[in-house]
Amino acid sequence: MAKINEKARPGTMKKVLRYIGRYRFLLPISIILALISVSLTLYVPTLIGEAIDLIAYINEPETGSIDRIVGVLLEAGGLILITAVAQWLMSTVNNKISFGVVRDIRNDAFGKIQTLPLSYVDTKAHGDVVSRVINDADQFAEGLLLGFTQLFTGILTIIGTLAFMIYLNWVIAIVVFVLTPLSLFIARFIASRTYSMFKARSEYEGAATAYINEIVTNEKVVKAFSKENDTLEKFAKINSGLEKASLKAIFFSSLTNPTTRFVNSVVYAAVALAGALMAIPAINPGTTVALVSVGELACLLSYANQYTKPFNEISGVLAEFQNSLACASRVFELIEEQPEIPDKEDAAELTDVDGNVELCDVHFSYTPDKPLIEDLSLSVKPGMRVAIVGPTGCGKTTLINLLMRFYDVREGSISVEGKDIRDVSRESLRASYGMVLQDTWLRAGTVKENIAMAKPEATDEEIIAAAKAAHAHSFIKRLKNGYDTVLGEGGEGLSQGQKQLLCITRIMLSLPPMLILDEATSSIDTRTEIRIQKAFLEMMEGRTSFIVAHRLSTVMGADLILVMKDGHIIESGDHKELLAKGGFYYTLYNSQFAH
Amino acid sequence: MKRLLKYLKSYKKECVLGPLFKMFEATLELIVPLVIAAIVDKGIGNESPGFIVKACLFLLLLGAVGLGFSLTAQYFSAKAAVGFVGKLRYALFEKVGTLSYSDIDELGTSTLITRMTQDASKVQSGLNLTLRLLLRSPFVVFGAMIMAFTVDVRSALNFAAVIPLLSIVVFGIMLITMPLYKKAQKGTDKLLGRTRENLSGVRVIRAFRHEDEECDAFKGENDVLTAVQRRVGRISALMNPMTYVLINVAILLLIHTGAIEVKHGNLTQGEVVALYNYMSQILVELIKLANLIISITKAMASASRIADVLDINPTENMGTLTVGKHSDVAVEFKNASLIYSGSSEPSLENITFSAKRGETIGIIGGTGSGKTSLINMIGAFYKATSGEVLVDGIEVSEYSRDALRAKIGVVPQAAVLFNGTIRENMLWGNDGATDEEIAAAVHTAQATDVVESKGGLDAMIEQGGKNLSGGQKQRLTIARALVRRPEILILDDSASALDYATDAALRSAIKDIDGNTTVFIVSQRASSIMHADKIIVLDDGSSVGIGTHEELLSSCPVYREIYATQFSEVQNG
Repeated sequence: MAKINEKARPGTMKKVLRYIGRYRFLLPISIILALISVSLTLYVPTLIGEAIDLIAYINEPETGSIDRIVGVLLEAGGLILITAVAQWLMSTVNNKISFGVVRDIRNDAFGKIQTLPLSYVDTKAHGDVVSRVINDADQFAEGLLLGFTQLFTGILTIIGTLAFMIYLNWVIAIVVFVLTPLSLFIARFIASRTYSMFKARSEYEGAATAYINEIVTNEKVVKAFSKENDTLEKFAKINSGLEKASLKAIFFSSLTNPTTRFVNSVVYAAVALAGALMAIPAINPGTTVALVSVGELACLLSYANQYTKPFNEISGVLAEFQNSLACASRVFELIEEQPEIPDKEDAAELTDVDGNVELCDVHFSYTPDKPLIEDLSLSVKPGMRVAIVGPTGCGKTTLINLLMRFYDVREGSISVEGKDIRDVSRESLRASYGMVLQDTWLRAGTVKENIAMAKPEATDEEIIAAAKAAHAHSFIKRLKNGYDTVLGEGGEGLSQGQKQLLCITRIMLSLPPMLILDEATSSIDTRTEIRIQKAFLEMMEGRTSFIVAHRLSTVMGADLILVMKDGHIIESGDHKELLAKGGFYYTLYNSQFAH
Repeated sequence: MKRLLKYLKSYKKECVLGPLFKMFEATLELIVPLVIAAIVDKGIGNESPGFIVKACLFLLLLGAVGLGFSLTAQYFSAKAAVGFVGKLRYALFEKVGTLSYSDIDELGTSTLITRMTQDASKVQSGLNLTLRLLLRSPFVVFGAMIMAFTVDVRSALNFAAVIPLLSIVVFGIMLITMPLYKKAQKGTDKLLGRTRENLSGVRVIRAFRHEDEECDAFKGENDVLTAVQRRVGRISALMNPMTYVLINVAILLLIHTGAIEVKHGNLTQGEVVALYNYMSQILVELIKLANLIISITKAMASASRIADVLDINPTENMGTLTVGKHSDVAVEFKNASLIYSGSSEPSLENITFSAKRGETIGIIGGTGSGKTSLINMIGAFYKATSGEVLVDGIEVSEYSRDALRAKIGVVPQAAVLFNGTIRENMLWGNDGATDEEIAAAVHTAQATDVVESKGGLDAMIEQGGKNLSGGQKQRLTIARALVRRPEILILDDSASALDYATDAALRSAIKDIDGNTTVFIVSQRASSIMHADKIIVLDDGSSVGIGTHEELLSSCPVYREIYATQFSEVQNG
């Protein structure tokens, strides 16, 4: 959500216009319809005024006739119908443009997410990105629609009303013209005075929300220590502060409407006074006829009412529109983010992968000033099992990021089957790996859909076979609807271990030539863990595998153990060799795996 | 819903005065057209400038008095709305304090938070608006009609015809569009879900090269949403033109009948102008009323959600006993079973064991085996569905809430600390603890270095303990429980973030504190519980073995399996 007073970046309007450009045929239609509906809306009251004037002469034999009045009324009726149709068509057209524009922007924003570099996704708060694609786009749609319908017609109405009033009576027009800005001025004055009150209120609101969040989220702890009453007392204090601040803010800001209404009645009275006085020929020197007829007075009064309305509306709409532009500019920021470096034009497809991976003098860091991986070289032969161990933050996951080309190396190169991975398509590179991460990711959808992600065309038999191989079949079977059980977002409804088994099943289904496995550190019970281990082992059979290892059995079974510390591989070799060395691995082994 | 009204009781005066002053203001507005009619007939008709000036001054006076009335009304309604919602929030907070663990599980904490924040503020603005407008708008509509009847009955019939028609249009469109708006909201939620999913699963989606499929799916859902939005837009765009036509056609008819009445001398020209003005007023108010009803429905929905929470009968029914029997058995389970509400399978089944005063009990088992459920039953956070749980020889639910919990110090699985100083957090364990007592507890919990590194007991802990590491938080939560000097200390997997050396030091320190403290240690690590006096092995809600480490190794296959996966490889390797 955009903050108050957040400004749109310069050039946003231009970008919005570019999107609107796709609907350029609709735009002139909308403008013409607006012109029709506004001018007719303003013209109809003059006809009604005319009819009222005719009433005055109704009993005079030569001019008075009900038929003349009916004639005028019929004309007005026809115009009213046309106005209504024009109004509706205009709204429909505006609808079509606004929602279309927002749909296009949203599609572009979502498409962008697919090509953003991982560094963006990893560092930006997801909530913020989501709110750009959803909330900001929504607010923008609302603002755009409002802008189209009200801003434009509002301005036309003001200009039109002035013109009609000048045409009817320029003196009264000037009276209205001089008095109206008063209401705008008052509205602004109140808004600026209440700003500090609103600020105070939102501070209290923030404090209350934070406290509610903290206590309610941890209500079980509160209860365990019998602190229900103490927390309630503290809340009461915050709550009453919030009450006082809210009352002030709400009351003072609610002054705007009554006071502008008062200004309107001043304008109304002034028009009535001037109009009525001019309607009496006797007190207007130099003329023998009324300068204003009664019908014209009625008409002017209704204009006076209408005239102030769009002013109030426009100031609201302008603020709204500005806010919506700020929202749009936040969406555009996302759309214009630098995408990841695209595949080379002549990028080859990686085929016939046996599992030769070569890392050559690799340097990498997330931020230039904090070097992470330096001078890493490694040669992996087909079928080798590479275990990566080391304390947290040593760069284990970073290695996965580089192998999958989620991030590019800064210096040096990584090649698969002798080809630099920057020279092959990402698609074919990633297709060569099967990846199971520690933070299991499942999507909202059925179990089957989740498994079939790896191979959309897979048959039910293949899926079940994969699940059996991954030791997941037995628990899936026991779910409410088996393979058709619907999971919530993030795999809600499954335990951590079950989620991991599903992720393994996914890989079992496609079984690519190389594997990247990140073992779970905790929160899996021993028996599930045994199953996962078995599944891992079966998968790794004959495949080049990179495992971020936390379990002793995995480490010991590896062909090559890389001991990482601070981004460097400080030791490598198999279990026996490393133990014999008596170095870092030896210490790590004793502290982490032994008891 | 009705029971929310009692929170409004102390604002009776405001609730009456607010709408009342609003009605005064509306009455003044209804006088305006009559003044205009008088200006036309008496001022212009009789060529009397003096009358016109007086009448216009009267118009100004009406405006000024109206402003005064309106401000008074705003004040009263704002006061009632803000005060009412303040009371509601307080009541909700209080209610949450009385909920049992099962109630909290069932409702979910995020729901409770939403009720207290978003829903409460929706109710506030809804009530404020209602007090200001709900009476005013109908009053103006019907007032205008009645005034029209006093001016001229025949012309006023137009009003009687057009008001129902207008209402049908305004409310009909509202009724049609409301479910469509809900549908649009659902569409938006779908897009939101997909976007969030694509961010959290970015690695998996790219690894499976699903980018294009995701874009296509998003586009499909986006098109559906856009179609719904456009449809709602088209329908609600009917409101303005339709009401415009109705009201203007009514005005034309009014002038027509008016003309005939004037011809027959039943009506003056000024009165026709007045009737015309009344008609215009009606339209404005009806549209205001429609908008008001939309926000009232939203506020009502929020209010009923709040009422649902307030209506909950907390299942935490406790007794009044404050002291137990003198017995050397501190905790005893007799065939205790637990079925969570909403679940058909028992989470714990027929658990029987006893823990003597001063003993250390280890509880081990896989995730979902019922370890946490078991220890939560000791403090009666969850009550046995069948069987008994006794503390000091008395069934737990016979104690008063505070008496029972004062005996127990719990260190929950999630290390939670609260915003405030370290001392304030420690005092949660025991309000009367001295600094020396706190220091001793901190020492036992191996947390002396944590307190020192932060700068002493007055150091601030940020919300959620953000400025502490996982291990530091765990040690402080252990210290907090120890400050209480509990008769029963429960450590629920509380050492998971500690390294083995600290874990071992902690266990031996706890052993030293007080010979009378009964300690329960829940863990997945065999090493944490193997030295306990008694180990309870849980598997799928049943106890599959109770005994010492050695006994279980020889008699309990599940225990052996757990132990083997954690130890044997080391021994073999």
